Amino acid sequence: MLAINPFFLAVGIILGSGILPLLFLWRRFVLMKAVASFGITAGCLIGLIDAILKLSHGVDWASSASYLHAFRLAFHMDGLSAFFLMAIFLVSLLAAVYSYHYMDDAQKTIRVAVHYLFFSLLVASMALVVTAANMITFMLCWEIMSLSSFFLVVYNYENDGNRKAGYLYFIFSQVGAMVILAAFGVIYSHAASFGFEGAAALPETAKLLVFVLAFIGFGSKAGVFPFHVWLPHAHPAAPSHISAIMSGVMIKCGIYGILRIYALLGWHTPLSGYIVLVAGMISGILGVVYALGQHDIKRLLAYHSVENIGIILIGIGLGMVGVAAGNPVMALLGFGGGLLHVLNHAIFKSLLFMGAGMVLHKTGTRTIDVLGGVIKKMPITGTTFLIGSLAICGLPPFNGFVSEFMIYIGGFRGAALGQADFALSLLAIVSLAVIGGLALACFTKVMGVVFQGEPRSRAAEAVNEKGTSMITPMVVLAGACLVIGVFPGVFAGMALKAAEALQLGYGRVPLAPFMQLTGNITLGALLFFTVLVSILVLRIFLYRGKSVTASGTWGCGFTQPTARMQYTGSSYAGSILEFFGPLAPLEENHPPIEGRFPAKTYYQSHVHDIAERHMQGVIVSPVLAAFDKLRWLQHGDIHLYIGYILLAIVVLLFFV
Amino acid sequence: MIHPVDSLLALVLLSVLISFASSRLPTLIKAVAFQGVVVSIVPFFMGHDLTVGGVVFTLATMVIRGIGIPLCIYLAIKKVAIKREVEPIIGYNASLLAGLLLIVAAAFVSPKFNLPQISVNALLLPTAITLLVAGMFLLMARRNAIAMVLGYIMMENGIYVVGTSFSLRAHHIVEFGILLDVLAGVMIMAIILQNIKQTFDDVDTAHLRTLKE
Repeated sequence: MLAINPFFLAVGIILGSGILPLLFLWRRFVLMKAVASFGITAGCLIGLIDAILKLSHGVDWASSASYLHAFRLAFHMDGLSAFFLMAIFLVSLLAAVYSYHYMDDAQKTIRVAVHYLFFSLLVASMALVVTAANMITFMLCWEIMSLSSFFLVVYNYENDGNRKAGYLYFIFSQVGAMVILAAFGVIYSHAASFGFEGAAALPETAKLLVFVLAFIGFGSKAGVFPFHVWLPHAHPAAPSHISAIMSGVMIKCGIYGILRIYALLGWHTPLSGYIVLVAGMISGILGVVYALGQHDIKRLLAYHSVENIGIILIGIGLGMVGVAAGNPVMALLGFGGGLLHVLNHAIFKSLLFMGAGMVLHKTGTRTIDVLGGVIKKMPITGTTFLIGSLAICGLPPFNGFVSEFMIYIGGFRGAALGQADFALSLLAIVSLAVIGGLALACFTKVMGVVFQGEPRSRAAEAVNEKGTSMITPMVVLAGACLVIGVFPGVFAGMALKAAEALQLGYGRVPLAPFMQLTGNITLGALLFFTVLVSILVLRIFLYRGKSVTASGTWGCGFTQPTARMQYTGSSYAGSILEFFGPLAPLEENHPPIEGRFPAKTYYQSHVHDIAERHMQGVIVSPVLAAFDKLRWLQHGDIHLYIGYILLAIVVLLFFV
Repeated sequence: MIHPVDSLLALVLLSVLISFASSRLPTLIKAVAFQGVVVSIVPFFMGHDLTVGGVVFTLATMVIRGIGIPLCIYLAIKKVAIKREVEPIIGYNASLLAGLLLIVAAAFVSPKFNLPQISVNALLLPTAITLLVAGMFLLMARRNAIAMVLGYIMMENGIYVVGTSFSLRAHHIVEFGILLDVLAGVMIMAIILQNIKQTFDDVDTAHLRTLKE
């Protein structure tokens, strides 16, 4: 029975092609890579088709098996699971393809084989997390997911910074898991079973406790402010396709968890909506502000994940408020927009990480201010990165616009409700607008400094665009951005189907108003393209017969322009960051220029993350100080250590 | 009438006292070997249904526990010149007193566990607890690493005694699980011993103190 189920077949193929390289093939580097990446791709493809079919036919499917005679491993797939599975398999598929050329260091054969093992474990465990149907299964898959991604983060473990990032991630994911476990514990204490079904019968106060605990636990995986501290450290440390998976889909498992707990609790008060909404607004705005101040392109993208998680939470929060206020259209717009943004963010963020990975792979640096002019040598990477940037800023006719537009409209519906709902909906709209504007500023910085202008260093000059397997996924993803942006009807329908699984009690969702909305978006996009094409034709027509000369960017008519005359990323972002000074303290180090013949000077800046800073002061330092006081326990005498064990056993015997 | 199991267990308790009082390694090894043999044949007298497989398993346990491992340790200390002194942290008389107190305490504590399977043989649980804690005591109170290995084996004997009475059905699986544990433990200890010997030219574990950061 298990063998013919396409979902388990997909997971099995993925796991198999992860284990195979390590067992047999690690002596033959290219063969190993080919088998692993092809196998994972094939498995993901099966899973993707299965998820899309299940989503469009609305099939509920369940399966369970006994594990160690003690627990049941149960799996269940409904619309919500299928929607997340679609995003997971899509991004993992393309990341597997991308890895073939990205992992090209033949010296590290075994390490690459191990990487494929954890890669496959990560993909399989994510797929199992979103289908898990009881607490044991969920926690088991959740832990495998956290651990396998930890090993992928420390792929380049020689680097001290990467190891630290790995430990930070490890601590955050384990503490998060502990909090989730506490939430499950509360459910278990009332329902006395490991199934999720008992959650709906909890008393109100217990529901609040479960929701808040689950929100913190899942939020720390999703990267909600202030639990996002691991994210900007771990994402740059991992190989780029892993960053794409982690940022694109793994953190979405946190969103899945929040939605699942919401659906299970069936607790439709405005309070849950307010919590999610406020957390979303804070994450969104601060995420993009910190992103603006980064000098490392992958770190910048990681902060944008925080921002987009914020947008998703705003959508979900509006949905929850809508449910509580008895406004089905607002609820569906909120949830649908949030879910669609999950898919959209998965697509454009993995596209951006892959683009950044391509730049890193060819130039060897992630520092924005030493790059420049890359688009001239890498036209496809540059163009797809541009499309991804436009999509992440929420500009039409790309996919980010569609989901943000749905959330906006949901917000306007909420503004009609009055009282607290009015204030929060309005705030949500304002923060979405602020996020969009700042994201635009941030990506003009990246595009302008990294891809355009002139190369600022030797590394940025000697680049080329090779590696078909790396280019193809980016083109596919850019295509997906455009397709969803122009024909959003199908995808919005999918998101609404997924929202149906939340048990809101609206029955079949009337799709007509949404179809009208998406139809208008399509019409607008088509108009846009008509105008664009006619302008291009007009340009060709007008410039015919005239001579066009090309010269260096920022040349400004100098006879001897140098690349150092260009605008830098830091200077571009500086004025905006000054405005957000209290929230994002900017530390600058710049010896002033003095005298007629000034000595050589430099400029350094660093934006402090207030969450990181306060966490250091409030939690890390006291804990370290406390443990420092307990140092005498470690005295090196083995006999007393055995005594500790004895003591522990005796104490347990008497008190448990 | 005294049940044969109880008389066997009384022998085990005596072997504990001998091991506490012995100053030389060979004596200690012999005491533990004797203990292993006696503990292994306890199931014969428990009145379980003895199948052919059961007999073979029990005998195999006896051979490994009572002869195999002690013989290996004995040959090892003969081959490499290891000090024959167990180097106590707590003296022999004090150890002996502690052993006696331990037996009394175990006998006092064991009824409180309220385990119906074990109540048939009055000495079973006290012996098991005594063996466990005595093993711990040897681990803590002897500086010679070989003596510590023997303490570890004594603990495993205690677990075995509990195991035989608890799991009538899955008896042999549990037993072999424990045996595997013992083998793995002894092997790991052998490797560690080798390292201690190489580094410090002695198997006195007090030297490990210098490894503290």
